[in-house]
Amino acid sequence: MNISQAVKMAAKSISSNKARSALTMLGIIIGLAAVIILVSYAQGQNLAMQRYYESMGTNKIQIQAWCWRGGVDVSTELYNYCLTLDEYVKGVTPAQEVWSDFTIKYGVKTLGRDNYETRPTLYLGNDQFSVCNNYAIAKGRDLSYLDIKKENHVCVLGAATAQDLFDMVDPIGKSITINGMPFLVVGLYQAKGSGQTEYNEDGSNWQEVAMTRLDRVILTPYTLNRVLNNNQDIEQYVAKGKDSESTKMAVALLNNFLAGLIPEDYGYGQAYSEDQYQESQNEANAMQQRFLGGIAAISLLVGGIGIMNIMLVTVTERTREIGIRKAIGAERRSIVIQFLIEAAMICGIGGIFGIGVGYLGTLVVGKLSFDTILLPSTGITIGAFAISVAIGIIFGLYPAIKASGLQPVVALRAD
Amino acid sequence: MLIDIRDLYKIYNEGLESEVRALDGVSLTIDRGEFVAIIGASGSGKSTLMNILGCLDIASYGEYYLDGTDVNEKTDRELAHLRNKEIGFIFQGYNLIPALDAYENVELPLIYQGIAPGRRDGMVMEALEKVAMADRYHHRPSEMSGGQQQRVAIARAIATHPPIIMADEPTGALDSKTGKHVLEILHRLHGEAGTTVILITHDNSIAATAERIVRISDGKIIYDGTKEGAGL
Repeated sequence: MNISQAVKMAAKSISSNKARSALTMLGIIIGLAAVIILVSYAQGQNLAMQRYYESMGTNKIQIQAWCWRGGVDVSTELYNYCLTLDEYVKGVTPAQEVWSDFTIKYGVKTLGRDNYETRPTLYLGNDQFSVCNNYAIAKGRDLSYLDIKKENHVCVLGAATAQDLFDMVDPIGKSITINGMPFLVVGLYQAKGSGQTEYNEDGSNWQEVAMTRLDRVILTPYTLNRVLNNNQDIEQYVAKGKDSESTKMAVALLNNFLAGLIPEDYGYGQAYSEDQYQESQNEANAMQQRFLGGIAAISLLVGGIGIMNIMLVTVTERTREIGIRKAIGAERRSIVIQFLIEAAMICGIGGIFGIGVGYLGTLVVGKLSFDTILLPSTGITIGAFAISVAIGIIFGLYPAIKASGLQPVVALRAD
Repeated sequence: MLIDIRDLYKIYNEGLESEVRALDGVSLTIDRGEFVAIIGASGSGKSTLMNILGCLDIASYGEYYLDGTDVNEKTDRELAHLRNKEIGFIFQGYNLIPALDAYENVELPLIYQGIAPGRRDGMVMEALEKVAMADRYHHRPSEMSGGQQQRVAIARAIATHPPIIMADEPTGALDSKTGKHVLEILHRLHGEAGTTVILITHDNSIAATAERIVRISDGKIIYDGTKEGAGL
């Protein structure tokens, strides 16, 4: 008997035993889809976390420093010290948030304390603010050295704030007012988030919401501190490390420097990086991924047991069939090949459907939980497919291998 | 000599208290073209003998020569070829594959013989015509009566034109009229093609249609001769 004949025979057997074939496929479909969706969900969460960190900027060093003893210009000293760290640090900027109430207006649009959702964070920074905080200019220009030096009333808007104020109008070159003072919009930042402001039911999109918050910013020259921030001292700075090793090094050096610069009891100086927090967060994520992977493995196992059950329940029936086939002259080899092809076809078709359902489920989960196009990893898909097909083939072959070795009368008597 | 068995034993649970000697030293020869009926009470060992003759089972001891070659020496694969080409086996319970229709059941032995699809069609229909089932070739076993199923089973047995037909109580599950019809088919095969037919039955009227009667009791042959001598 040749292979094409065996394939025809297997196809015949599958189509004449529809319930058995369908149940076996169902076991594979459920097991496979569950694995793909669960693992993809975990990966999606990791991805969201990663995007969030990337949007905030990696190797970001946050510095809080103030000194109330006269004669110590923390800002200048820090800036100059960072210049000597150019081996480790790309840039440094004041990143002072204006804590007090402010009102921003363009035409009839007002942003401010009344509406928390659209209230932007007003930053006082320099020409390196964007680099240090991982903002990219989408349109117009960044703050320049001259803006800082000349205390120009200019600002750069985050994507969401530009949308809130200007809607469809091009903001570049337009004038807005902050607390009644006119400011020229010179640039726009690229959006970091997808614009989501609402948390979904399980809160799994918190990174998206947080990233949208990062798009509600206004950057003005820090030299306008006097007029915008009641002349309070600038206490917040951000520096940007070159890579994670340099960042660690720079944090240590900065802390050392700040300890020397600011006399104890006369101020405070602390540099830290979120890299460490990220590391522990990554570990927690990896653990969750392992946990979901474990659940997925169990569903694969349950699916496998389902397949096993159906295959074993039909062993008696199939043993008789094998007895008949042997009695009319089938070689053992022909029987095993037919059953192998049959199992492979069922599992292959079930597997393809399972992958289909898994992909669809992943897309739905990705849309609902992360509001992004989430696709399963190829490795997981191929691995889960291989395992479920292997289970199906092993248990599909089992009756064939067992019964085809029997004397035909023994197989015929099976009950 | 087509079939030659010498001192055949089939012993279950040998050496135990529950030991059963289904065949207890049977010797028998059958020539090409004979029509032999093996008779005996149930449990006499006639079915066991038939299964061994049909290469569906193996004896515990003894020799079996089929067409001059030693069956005990044959590999699993060679036995499969014997069952496929030399012997057509007809069972009491038909043993058709329920998921396949009449045509596909009859086609199976031809597929295992490696006959090309183009040639199979003619052979299948020829076999079905011989048992007057050609018009129902598309029916599944569940859609056929017992007699029809047995006729399809006969068609399957003769599809490869084997020189020997072995039938184990072929009419056992059929009413007398249908049984007679099945028996007629076997006689026709014997008469027209010179096929050797070995038939198991417990029905004396059916056995009486054979030329030669072999009677078995307790695993031993107690009579071998003409139907007249057997008192049928």
